[in-house]
Amino acid sequence: MRRKLAVLLVGTMIGSAMLAGCGQNGNTESKQTAAETGELKGDITFWHSFTQGPRLEVIQETADQFMKDNPDVNITIETFSWGDFYTKWTTGLASGNVPDMSTALPGHVVEMMDAEALVPLDDLIDDIGRDKFSKTALSEGEKDGTCYSLPLYSHAQVMWYRKDLLDAAGLEVPKTWDEFADAAKTLTKDGVYGCSFPCGSNDLMGTRFLNFYVRSGGGSLLTDDLKADLTSDLALDGIRYWLDIYENCSPKDSVNYAVLDQATLFYQGKTAFDFNSGFQIGGVETNSPDLVDQIDCAPLPKINADDPEYGAETSNIPMVVWENSEHPEICKEFIKKLYEKDTYIKFLEATPVGMLPSITGISDTPEYKENETVQKFSNAVDVITKTMDMGTAIGFEKGPSVQAGLLTSQGIIESMFQDIITNGTDVEKAAQTAEDKLNEVFSTVQ
Amino acid sequence: MKRKVKFDYARWIFVLPALLVVGILLVYPIFSSLYYSMTTKHLIKASYDFIGLENYKAVLSDSNFYKAFLTSILWTVGSLLGQLFIGFTAALAINRVKIGKGIYRTLMIIPWAFPSIVIALSWKWILNGVSGFLPNILVQLGISSELPQFLSDSSLVFLTLIFINVWFGAPMIMVNVLSALQTIPQDQYEAAQIDGASKFQQFWHITVPHIKVVVGLLVVLRTIWVFNNFDIIYLLTGGGPANATTTVPVYAYNMGWGTKLLGRSSAVTVLLLAFLLLVCLVYFTIIGKWEKEDK
Repeated sequence: MRRKLAVLLVGTMIGSAMLAGCGQNGNTESKQTAAETGELKGDITFWHSFTQGPRLEVIQETADQFMKDNPDVNITIETFSWGDFYTKWTTGLASGNVPDMSTALPGHVVEMMDAEALVPLDDLIDDIGRDKFSKTALSEGEKDGTCYSLPLYSHAQVMWYRKDLLDAAGLEVPKTWDEFADAAKTLTKDGVYGCSFPCGSNDLMGTRFLNFYVRSGGGSLLTDDLKADLTSDLALDGIRYWLDIYENCSPKDSVNYAVLDQATLFYQGKTAFDFNSGFQIGGVETNSPDLVDQIDCAPLPKINADDPEYGAETSNIPMVVWENSEHPEICKEFIKKLYEKDTYIKFLEATPVGMLPSITGISDTPEYKENETVQKFSNAVDVITKTMDMGTAIGFEKGPSVQAGLLTSQGIIESMFQDIITNGTDVEKAAQTAEDKLNEVFSTVQ
Repeated sequence: MKRKVKFDYARWIFVLPALLVVGILLVYPIFSSLYYSMTTKHLIKASYDFIGLENYKAVLSDSNFYKAFLTSILWTVGSLLGQLFIGFTAALAINRVKIGKGIYRTLMIIPWAFPSIVIALSWKWILNGVSGFLPNILVQLGISSELPQFLSDSSLVFLTLIFINVWFGAPMIMVNVLSALQTIPQDQYEAAQIDGASKFQQFWHITVPHIKVVVGLLVVLRTIWVFNNFDIIYLLTGGGPANATTTVPVYAYNMGWGTKLLGRSSAVTVLLLAFLLLVCLVYFTIIGKWEKEDK
C-alpha cells in the first residue's frame, strides 16, 4: 500500500512538473489581440542594448508609463551588451527563444531579414511619418520594398582630438591622412600616444579603421558583386597606413584592443587622437572631467586635401519586431511611444551628442537645443550630423547585404592585421589570405 | 520452484528524474552534435542537408585546426604540470603547518571563489600594456626598460595565460591532495623513522602510494577541464594575437558563432570528444592498475 502511494505521489509530481513546463507559454489570456478586444492586452519582451545609465532608465520609465496607460500590457525588459545580444538572438532563433521586439545593429537586421525573422514595419513608419526618416537609414532595413526596421537614433564616426596637445605642439587639426600621421607621431611622447590602432579579433575596430581610409579614397571593402576587396591598391595602402600608425604612435597592446579598450585610452587622456561618435564626450566626462574642455572633433581626414567630403561610417541604430511575437501590435504602439517628442528628446538627452535624432523636427526644437552638452559641443553636433548624412554602415555603400554584416563580425580583417604585426607576414600575402577567407565565409550564405 | 520476481516500479520512478536530466543534458547534446556534424546545419538557417563526413574532411584539412590542437595540448600539459607542482607543494607545506591551517587553506582557495569573468577582467587590468599595475611596476623597478606586453607580445602571451591558469587551478589540487595527505596513518611515518628511512624515502614509499589514486583522478578531471577551457582564454585574448592562443574550444566557438557553420563546429567538438575519451581511457587504465596493486 505504502509503495503504491509513493508511486502515485512521485508520478503526480512528475506529471505536474511536466504540465507546468508545457503551460509556461500557454496563457490563453495573453493571446487575445487588440483586434479582438479593441484594447492592448498581453505580455511582450523587449531586448535592448542600453545596459546602463540614463538610457536604461529612460527606456524603463517609458515602459512603466506605457504599462500605466495600458493596464493589461506587461513589458519585460532584458538588456544585453551588443556582443552578448548577437549570440543571444542567433542561438535564440534556432530554439524559438527570441523577444517580441528589440534593438539591433544594421548588420544584424540584414541577417534577421535573411532568416525571415522580422515583421514588416511599413505601417508603423507611415504612422510616425515616413518623410521624417532619412531614406538611407530606412533602406538599411529594407528588403524587396518592405521595411523591417526603423532607426531609433543615429551617429557617425569622426576624428576626435585633444585641443591642448595640438596647441602645445603648434599643430593644426589634420585634414589629410599624411597630416594626421605626422601629428600623431609628433604627439607620441610623455606617456601620451598619438593614436591607438586597435585590432583585437573580438571586435570590428581594425575593419572600421581600414574602412575609414578606403572610403576616404572613394573605395569600398566590398566589390560591386559583394566580394571582399582587401587587395585593391587603396586597401593595401590603407593596411600599410595603419601598420605605420601602430608601429609609431600606438601602444603595442592595442593589437588585442576592442572598442572599449580603445575608447578608454582617450577617456583617460592617454591618446591625442581617436575615432568615435559623440559617445566620446560622455566617456571623457566620466573618466577625466578636467579634459572635457580640451576635446573636440573634426571630419575624418582625406587622402588629398581637395578630395570631396565623405562619411565613412554612419550607424542608424534600428528597432525591430520579431516574427515570433504574439503581440506585434503592442510592440508597434510602444515603439511609437518612444518617438513621441518629449519621450524621444528625454531619451536622446541620456547621451547628448552621442545619440543624435533619426527623425526630423527634433534637433531644431528649443527643448533639444537647451541641453548644456548640445550647446557646448555644437561644433561636434554639426560635424557628426553632416558626416552622418554622407555615410552608411560599413559595407552598406553597396546596399544592405549579409556580406556587409559578415565583413565586420568575423574578425578576419583584425586577424590579418595581427598576423602582419605578430608574425611579420607580407602585407599583400596577408591581405590575399584574409580576402579569400572572407569570400569563403560569404559563400556559405549564398 | 521458481520465485516470481516482482518488477519494482517505485525505484524506477524515483530514478526517472535523474535519468531524464542525464538524458537531456548529456545524451541528447552528444547525439545531436554527432548528427549535426554530418549536416550543413547553419546557426540561423532553418533548412540543412546531410553531407556525410564532409565537415570532418574540411576540419581535418584546415591547418588552423592542427595549430589549435597543438596549442590545446601545450596549454593542457603546461597548465596541468604547473598546477600539480604548485598544488602539491602547497599541500605538503600546509600539511606541516600546526596552527592556522584552516586560514591558509581558505586563503589559497580564494581564486576559486571568483567567476571566470572577474578573474579575466582583473588580470586584464593588472597586465594592461599601458596602465597595468604589473608592467608599470616592472619598469619602475628597472626590471624592464619598456612596458612588457603580457597579453599581446606573441612570445609572452601564451606563458602568461598558463601562469594565470596555474594560479587559478593549483588551489583545487592543493585542497584535494591535502585531504588525501590527512588520511595517511601517522604511525607509518613513525615506523619508517624508527627503521631509519630518510625524508625522501618516507615521501616516496608512504606518501606517494597513499595519494597517487587521488592525484590520478585529479589529473583526469583537470585534463578534461583544462583542455575544454574556453572562458579565460577567450576573455583575455580572444585567441589572439594572430591565433597564438587559439585552442580547439576557441576554434570551435569561432566556427559555430563566428561563421555560424554549426555543422562544421559540431565536427570539431566530436573530434575533441573522441580525443578526450581516448586520453581518459589511458588514464583510467593506469589508475585501475594502481588500484589493483594497492589491493
